[in-house]
Amino acid sequence: MNDLQDRRAIVTGAAQGIGLAIAKRLVAGGARVALVDINGGGAEAAAAELGGGCIGLTCDVRSTEQVNASVATATEAFGGLDLLVNNAGIEIAKPVTELTDDDFISILDINVVGTFRFTRAAVPALAAAGGSSIVNLGSIASVAGGPLLSSYSASKGAVLRFTESAAIELRGAGIRVNAVCPGLADTPMAARLAAPLEAVAPITFEELVAVKQGRLAAPEDVAETVAFLASQNSSFITGSHYLVDGGLTASLI
Amino acid sequence: MTNITTQDDSLAGKVAVITGSARGIGLAIATKYAALGATVVISDLDADSSAAAAGQLSGASSFACDVRSEDSVAALIDHAVSMHGKVDIVVANAGIATLAPVTEMPLGQWRNLMSINLDGAFLTVKHGARAMSAAGTKGSIITIGSITATAGTPLLAHYSASKAAVVNLTKTAAIELRPKGIRVNSILPGFAETVLVTANRQQFVDMLGVDFDEVMAMRQGGYLNIDDLAEVAAFLAGDRSAFCTGSEYVVDGGLTASLM
Repeated sequence: MNDLQDRRAIVTGAAQGIGLAIAKRLVAGGARVALVDINGGGAEAAAAELGGGCIGLTCDVRSTEQVNASVATATEAFGGLDLLVNNAGIEIAKPVTELTDDDFISILDINVVGTFRFTRAAVPALAAAGGSSIVNLGSIASVAGGPLLSSYSASKGAVLRFTESAAIELRGAGIRVNAVCPGLADTPMAARLAAPLEAVAPITFEELVAVKQGRLAAPEDVAETVAFLASQNSSFITGSHYLVDGGLTASLI
Repeated sequence: MTNITTQDDSLAGKVAVITGSARGIGLAIATKYAALGATVVISDLDADSSAAAAGQLSGASSFACDVRSEDSVAALIDHAVSMHGKVDIVVANAGIATLAPVTEMPLGQWRNLMSINLDGAFLTVKHGARAMSAAGTKGSIITIGSITATAGTPLLAHYSASKAAVVNLTKTAAIELRPKGIRVNSILPGFAETVLVTANRQQFVDMLGVDFDEVMAMRQGGYLNIDDLAEVAAFLAGDRSAFCTGSEYVVDGGLTASLM
C-alpha cells in the first residue's frame, strides 16, 4: 500500500480504538504519524511499536496551549504537515434528565472544540504543504439521534457542520475537510454503550447490532475510509461526510 | 494530480458491468476498473461505440443495452455471466439530462427521462443483484446519483427527481441485499465537463441568464474531474469499503456543503 507515501500526519485519540487503527493504516500507506492522546504513555508505546518515524505526544484537546504545542512539535519533527485526523472524542450514555452541566460541556469541549482547536492550529502548516487534508470523526449520531445519545449526537452533529464550513473556507488554501461517520464499532467506547442501551431497549445489544448493521464495524473498516479521504485520490472531495455503517442509517425501520 | 494505486485496490479476478460506459463518467469508471485488473463489460445504447470503447481496454467485452427495456438489461447481465463467468460489480450509470421549466415540460419528456434514469437504474440493480444472489457472489452495486438529488435545480425537475429516486432505491436495495453480502451504494457527483453537462450548458445560460462556468468556479472550485469519480467508484467496488452500504458518497468540491 502506498496511497499515503511520505505524508505527514497527526491523529488525535490515537492510543486505542479507531484512532490507533487509523494511525496503523496511515503508516501502512507510507505516512509518518504523530499519535496524540491524553494518555501520552499509550501514545508513545503505540508510536514505538509502529516505528517508521512515528512519534507519540501527550495532549488534552481541551487545552489550547497543549493543542498548539502538539501541532508545533509534530510539524517540526516531520518538517511540515499534510494530514490531520480529529478522532479524539468521548461518549457519555445518559438520559437527558441525568446529564450534568459538566457532562454536556465536557463532551462538547472534547468532541467539538477539540476538533476546532486542532484545525485552527494546523491550518498554517497544512496550507503551506498544499494538497492537504483534514478528516474529522463524525458518527451515525451526526445524522440522527437516539436514546442516551443527546450530548453525543449534539457533539457529532456539530462536528459535521463545522466540517462543512471549514471546507468552504479552506478550499482556496488547498486544504480539504471531510468527515467519516462510523456506525457502532468494535471498540472499547462502543462496548461501554452496550449495557446502558440494553437497559432502555427491548432487545440485546448483539441483536440490535445484527438487525441494524449486520455486524460491528471493525476499526479497520473506518480506517480505510479515513485513508481514502486522506489520500490525494479523493482530491475533489471536500465538505462531505462518508458513512461507514453497514446500512444502519439507510433503513427507515 | 497523481492517482496512486494500492495493493488493496486490486480488482483482479473481478467482473464489472457498467451501463452507459461508451463515454463520460461510465467510461472513466470502466477504464479505472480495467486498470485495477477487473474484466469489464462496456455497455451503451450504441453497439459500435461500446465496441470501440471496449477495444481500448484489456480483456473487456461490449454489449449494447437499452436500459429502458427489462429484456435488454437482463440480456446484458446474461452476457456478462456467460462470457466472463460471473458478475462482481455492477454500476448503474446510464442516464440523460434535458432542460425544461416545470410549467413547460411535456409529460413525454418527463417520462422518457424517468424511463432511462430511474427505470434503467432499477432494472440494472434488479438483474445485477439477481445474478449475484444466484451465484452467491458477495458483490458491489453502485448507482450514479447526482448532487441534484439533494436539492432543487432550475430546469432539471425531472432529472433531479429521477436522481433523488435512484438514491432512495439504493438504500432499499442495500437493506434487502445485506443478508446476501451484496452492498449497494450511490455516488453523487457534482458537475463534470462531460457531454451531459456541456450539451446543456448554453441552454442553461440562455434560459436563466446565469453563467454556468462562473457558478461552478464559485460553488465547486471548478468542474469536477471525472477521474476523481472513478476513484470513488474503485473504492466502493472493492474490499476497502466492505462495511459501506446504503450510503451516498458525494464528490462535489464542497458545493452541497455550503449554504451559499
